[in-house]
Formats: sequence, structure tokens, C-alpha cells
Amino acid sequence: MSRKDWSIGPLHTSLPGPMHMVLKLHGEIIDACQVETGFLHRGLEKQCELHSWHAALFYADHLDPEGAVFSELVLCLAVEEIAGIMVPERAQSIRLVLVELGRISSHLAFMARMARSVGSETIVHYVLRDRERILDLFELLTGARVSLNFLRYGGVKGDVTDGFIERVLDVCDLIRFRMKEYNDIFTFNAIFLKRTLGVAPLSVELIEQAGITGPNARASGVREDSRKGSPLYQALEFDIPSGKSEDFFAQGWRGLLARTSKGCVGDVHDRFLVRLREMTQSIEILRQLVAQMPLGVYQNTSIHIDRNYPIPPGESYQRMESARGRLGCHVVSDGQNFPGRIQFSTPTRASLWALPQLVRGIRIEDLPVVLASLDLSIAEADR
Amino acid sequence: MMYFRRSVFIALFWYLHSIVKSSLSIAGSCFATLPYLLRIGESRKEVTDGYPDPISSKTADDLPPRSRGLLFNDIERCTGCGDCEHVCPAGCIEVASEPGAHDSRIWVSVFDVDFSRCVFCGLCVDICQPMSLVHTRQYEGAAYQLEDLVASFGRGQVTEEQREKWHLARQRLSAPQEGA
Amino acid sequence: MNWVFLWLRALGFSATVPGIPLIALACISLFVILPSCALIAYLDRKLSADLQARVGPCRTGYRGMLQPVADCVKLLQKNSMHSQTLGELLWMLLHTMALYASLAAIPLGSLAMMVDTQMSVFIPFWSALVLALGTMLLGLGQYTTPGWLGGIRTAAQSLAGTFPSLIGILCVGMHAGSFRWSALAASQGFLHWTMFAHPFLLLAFVVFVGGGLVLLAIAPLDGGLAMSDIHGGVAVHVTGRQLALFQFGRFYGFFIWSVMTVVLFMGAWRIPESLRSWFLALDAEVCISVVELTWLLLKTYVLMLFILWIARANPRARVDQITDFSWGVLGPLALVALVGTAFWTMV
Repeated sequence: MSRKDWSIGPLHTSLPGPMHMVLKLHGEIIDACQVETGFLHRGLEKQCELHSWHAALFYADHLDPEGAVFSELVLCLAVEEIAGIMVPERAQSIRLVLVELGRISSHLAFMARMARSVGSETIVHYVLRDRERILDLFELLTGARVSLNFLRYGGVKGDVTDGFIERVLDVCDLIRFRMKEYNDIFTFNAIFLKRTLGVAPLSVELIEQAGITGPNARASGVREDSRKGSPLYQALEFDIPSGKSEDFFAQGWRGLLARTSKGCVGDVHDRFLVRLREMTQSIEILRQLVAQMPLGVYQNTSIHIDRNYPIPPGESYQRMESARGRLGCHVVSDGQNFPGRIQFSTPTRASLWALPQLVRGIRIEDLPVVLASLDLSIAEADR
Repeated sequence: MMYFRRSVFIALFWYLHSIVKSSLSIAGSCFATLPYLLRIGESRKEVTDGYPDPISSKTADDLPPRSRGLLFNDIERCTGCGDCEHVCPAGCIEVASEPGAHDSRIWVSVFDVDFSRCVFCGLCVDICQPMSLVHTRQYEGAAYQLEDLVASFGRGQVTEEQREKWHLARQRLSAPQEGA
Repeated sequence: MNWVFLWLRALGFSATVPGIPLIALACISLFVILPSCALIAYLDRKLSADLQARVGPCRTGYRGMLQPVADCVKLLQKNSMHSQTLGELLWMLLHTMALYASLAAIPLGSLAMMVDTQMSVFIPFWSALVLALGTMLLGLGQYTTPGWLGGIRTAAQSLAGTFPSLIGILCVGMHAGSFRWSALAASQGFLHWTMFAHPFLLLAFVVFVGGGLVLLAIAPLDGGLAMSDIHGGVAVHVTGRQLALFQFGRFYGFFIWSVMTVVLFMGAWRIPESLRSWFLALDAEVCISVVELTWLLLKTYVLMLFILWIARANPRARVDQITDFSWGVLGPLALVALVGTAFWTMV
């Protein structure tokens, strides 16, 4: 057959962003694949070095447009460690509320992409409608829907506004109600199961080689979560969700599904299920946070935005669990008004590294589904 | 022979079981969307915003009070310090000022905000000491020409003779103190 | 015009005025097919919007009712970037003639049938195959990989969908005793539909509709043709007027298949006997035709919208899963229905 190589991208509707893939096909089966990224490189890390420390927060916002709060938080944690800035309890609580809301919003967008890749248009609209409620919450608290720019070194920019807490609880109830609806319509739909069970399972060896973290790893049974060891989440109770591997011995229809399904651990459906369960976990965490929110100030009052704002020299690395995996930030300070070096280590890079091995042997119609299931964010990978 | 027949029946059973299960699942999905067709309940009505119809969509006043819309600078309170220009990550603010008739009066001649570059991050509003620069809740800032996207809040350039007059006025004000 | 007249007379249609068949064809396409297309396009968008918590078209006309007209006008005034060679133009004309030749065979009432022979039920089926051939060649003529693969997939899918559908037709033919439209309608009543006659015929109905969806690549089984992502790509280069004609051809296949389903399985155009004799007593045969046509079209629309509902609420299956489903599930079920109908008819 003369059409052996197929070049997709950089712009294509089925790709998660600008990336170039060259597929070697054998009929409809992919034999090999080359991935080329870098089309969305904006030089964020270099720009951070040219502006003040506060502008670095803004640039961190734009690392991953869907998960703005994660990169802001990890940068704040790193800088606060270097400068020894104390964060009040109330501010920490508000930060975590934003983080969990951001996680739910990112997973809802993942569901929309996943549903679109298999062609189910109805769920896309339902999910995006519910994501709008969370974005409205962001706007109520921070003033913007997507690029929040709300965290500051030593706290947050403002206190909780009137009605915010009640609306957070409303949103929790709403998402709980909608999850049942999504499960009825989409998650265990026979056609969706046929499209996703057993497709592109992510093996534990590949996870360890590539350094994949987050829901992609948890779906294959690697139960690691940066939140568990973090001092921020110490007072909160939650489980680490995983996919079919934990269901195998469960009771009820979930166990029956796991035992009778033709899928394997770590396939596309598993990655979808893990994110659904993470949303439920985030709702539980949100309820605990809102119930336990301490009184106090929202910012370390010794810090304020000023033209001259040096951070003492030092170096630190902090990590946290973003919606896609473990996001790390390495900050080097020379004692000046602007950062010495800021580096982000994003979870999507690991998934992209593992992509050529993962898609070997699948059909090309499965490719959009696999790409959507890995929850890739090219903005994050290319910085 | 018995083994062969049993496996055939088992295969037939699972075949029919999968057909029935798939059909029920597809029918279940269809019926789960039925409340939307029939508009049962508040949680299932349409969420389309009828923008730009002002009745059925949100206007600027419906937005939360903290919304970061287009910037507005109250030139009476502005001191022309240029902190906002310094902190802006996108480099979209241009400030030029000069002293006025009195030491405490500053004439801000140029204060341009280029909204084609502004990212509405709010750092300039945070850093503004006299709190003259604020976010409005306006979000409709589209224009047909790129030049129209620059909002000018400055008072305009002064003539040379005006500058001279102010210089003399300042000298007169500071001279009696030196004499006494 | 003479040969059309002779051909039709040989088929059993007697007319004194030579122009009647052409007028009839024109009437059918203008007053039945085109309005149906517009109505189904509008209802498709409105009902999908209802399902998805949206509003749908609401600006063009009262509640967006002129939206199909607007779409048509917009598409027709766009030039396509692909200029056809003479060979392509000739092929396109022949293909269009072959596809729309089955207009003559659509039954629209007990008095509005133009072709009522033993082969009449297979003519719309043949026209669906012509559509599949055209789509396949459209895909194979592409240079890009998704288009080329889309062509092959369309062929595979159409082949897979033919087998169960044919067997479904055979079942009904056995039950009714003949393949003529009039006989098929006579074997049913106002509420005595073929598909409820006995369970094997219900199975045959399911098999026939499923096979039709696979044959014509209608959502949700349109994996071979779907223009989203990497799937079909058969028609991504078709723009403007050619796109309008392409979509209309696809709608025509769907419509004619639904009419066939209704006539075969869902009671055809049978209105209650009392109503029919009342109209005859009033000597109003036109009224009978109108009422029958309305009833037939109503059932057709309900069937089409039902399939649309399933399409919107469910994801799309993969192409090889569609063909597996057709050969592996619909095929054996079709054979079971055939054998069962045969036994039932004998007993």
C-alpha cells in the first residue's frame, strides 16, 4: 500500500493541541509513531526572569490555561519556602478550595473532550454547562474565570466574598447530582464501553520509565498521590481513587463489571473512571474544607505588592498534585527583584514521552480516544 | 462431545447476554435524556445566554463585583508614579507625568492603556497606591481599528509656557520658606 | 418523452396524458421530498438542542423555522474549489440519475404508486447501494489517507448492511405473500402492523432498521463516513453546492429507507376502513390520498426522529465494530427471523 505514512498535525481537530504526529500504518493499525511538540512554546520561563516576582505568578497562571490555580500554588509554595514566608491558615484553606474546584473543572473539561472524541455530543453540552457553574464561582471569588491571578506570596489576594461558601456547597450538590446523570447516560453505555475497554492499556513498566503520575498512573494501579504526603492536606480525609484494579474484589455491580468486562487494568475506560472518582473525592474534600475553614486574615500582612520586592537568595523545589499529575516547580533566586530561574516540571511531558509506545498496535480510529484519555495539555508541555 | 456442546451453549448464552445488555444500555442512555426533551424540572432547562439581547443575557452589572473588566484610571487621584507601568507583565501601560503648580500636584500628561496587549491580570490595580486605577466590569471592548484599542486617560501635553508658569509658581512657593 | 411513456405502460401504469409521470415525479420531489428534508433538518437541530439543554436555531424566522432555507441558500451560493473534468461531470450525472431514479418507486398512498410490481420493493434498496457506491468512489478518489480509508470503510460497511436488510425484506415478503406495494399494504391494517404480527417479524423489523443504518451509514452507525476527527474524511473536501447535494443525497437515502420501513413494517398508509369508505361515499378520492400520505409521512418522521434521538444520546461505534455487529449479530438474527417467519407462515 502506498499510503504507509500518515502525518497528522500540527493543527487537527482530534489532537489536544498543536503537535505533530507521523504514524506508520499497516492497514488501519498503527505500527509506529513519532511525536513532535514545541509548537506552543511561549518562553514562559524566560519571561519570568525578565519581570518582577509578582509577574511570575501571572506567567505561572498561563502555564496551563485549564489548571491555572495549580501552577500558581506550586510557585507560591516554592517562593514561600525560599523566603520563609508564613501563610495564614485561612489563606491555606482558601487556596485548597480553589485547587479542588480547579481539579473538578479540569476533569469536567476532560470528560467533554473524551465524549467528543467518541462522538457523543449530548454529554459534551451537559458537562460544559456544569463547568460554567464552577467558572462562575471562580469569577465570584477572584474576578476572572480562567486566569485567576489570585494567589500571592503569603496568602491570597482577597477574602471570601459574600455568598461564596454557600455557592460552593451548592456546586458540590449539583456535581453529585449530575454524576449520577453522567453515569446513566455515558459512563457505562455499551458503545462507549466497546470503544474504550481494552484499548491502549498503560503498563506499569512504561509508567515507571516515563515518570507518568496522576490519574493516568492511578488507573494502572500505581496508587501515588502527591496530596497524601503534603502538609497542606494533613487535616483532610480522602482516599486515593483508582480504576478497575481496586474494583476487582468489590461487591455489587462494580465488581461484576470489573470481573466480566473484557477490558484490562489501565485501559482508556479506567483512566476515565479514575477521573470521575477523583471528582467525587474532590467534592468530599471541598465539603470538609468549607466546614473547617478557620477564621483569620487572608494574607500575610507583612507582604504587599511593591515595585521593589526582592526575595532572598536560595533555591527550592516544590511539587503538588494538579489535575493531570504531579506538577513541580524549581525556583532559583539571586536576591533580586526578579527571579533567577523558574522551571516547571509538568505531568504532560511524561505522557507525551510515553505516547509512541502506547499507541503501538491500536487502530487509527482509536487514536483520538487515546489522546483524549491521557488528558494532554500541550500548553503545559511546551510552556 | 459433551464438552464441545457445553462450550457452545456457554458461548451462545454470553452472546445473547451481551446483545441484551447492550440494547438495554443504549435504551437506558436514550431514556436518561428524555427528561431534557420534555423539560422536566428546573435543572434541565436550556442554558443558552441570549447575548446580545439585554433581557435574556447577563449585562455588565450582573457580573460579580470583583470582575476584572476594562481598566479605568481616575486621573484626579493618579500620582503618575508609574508603578503600574513597571509591574505590568505585558507592558501595556504608558505613563508620563510632570510636576504641576504645586509640589503636591502632579500633571499626568500621558496615561495610555493598550488593551490589545492587556491581559487583565490586575497587578496594576493591586499595586496602585492612590487606588486610582480600577477594573470596571465592562467586557465589550472590541474595536474595528487597532488604534482604537488604546484608552487614554491622560490630561494631554502642556505647552512650554504653561510649564514655565508652573515652574515659577513652584519657585515662589518654596522661596519664602528659604527666606524665613 | 415517448420512451418514458412506453416504459411505464409496460410496467403496468396506464396514463392517457404523456406528461403525467414527469409531473408526478416533479410533484413528489418538490412537495414531498424537499419539504421533508427541510422539516427533518429543522427538527433535527431543534430536538438535538432540546436534548443538549440548548436553544437551537431561533433567529431565522419564527423560532428559527427558516433555518433550513437559510442553510440551503448559503450553501448554494458558495463556489466549490474543485472544478470537475468532463468525465467526472458525466459520472456525476449518471450517478445522480441512478440515485434519484427510485423516486418513481416510492409508494405514497394506495392511489399514488407509480411502480407496483414484484420488484418494486427492491428498487429503493438498490438506490441505497448506488449511494454507497458513490460515497466509496468519492473516498477512494482522495489522496489523503483518511479519505482513502473512508472510501474502503464505506464499502465494507455497506456490504455488511446489505445482508440483514435483504433478509428482512424477504421475511415480510413471505408474510404478505408478495413484494408489491399494494399487497404489502393490504396485509396490514390501521393498527395491525406487520411488526406486531408475530415475534419473528418484530425481530425482522429490528434487523431491517439496523441493517439500513449500517448500509446507509446513518448515525450512530456512521463510523465509516463520519467527518469528525480521523474517521471518515470522505467528504471533508466537499464544500458549497456539492456539499448541499451530497447531504441531500444522504438525506434522500435515509428518507427512502424510512418510507420503506414504514410500508413494510409499520402499517404503510392504512387508515381506518370506516374513514376510507366515508371518503369514498363522498366521492373524494383526493382526500383519501392526502390523508394516507399524511399518515405515512407522520410515521416516517417519527421513525427518523427516533433514530436521531438514539444517535444524539449515544456515542459513535467504531467501523470494525459496526461491521462486526452487522455480520455477527444482525446476520444470525436475520436468519433466525427468516426461518421463524417461514415456519409461522406455513403453520
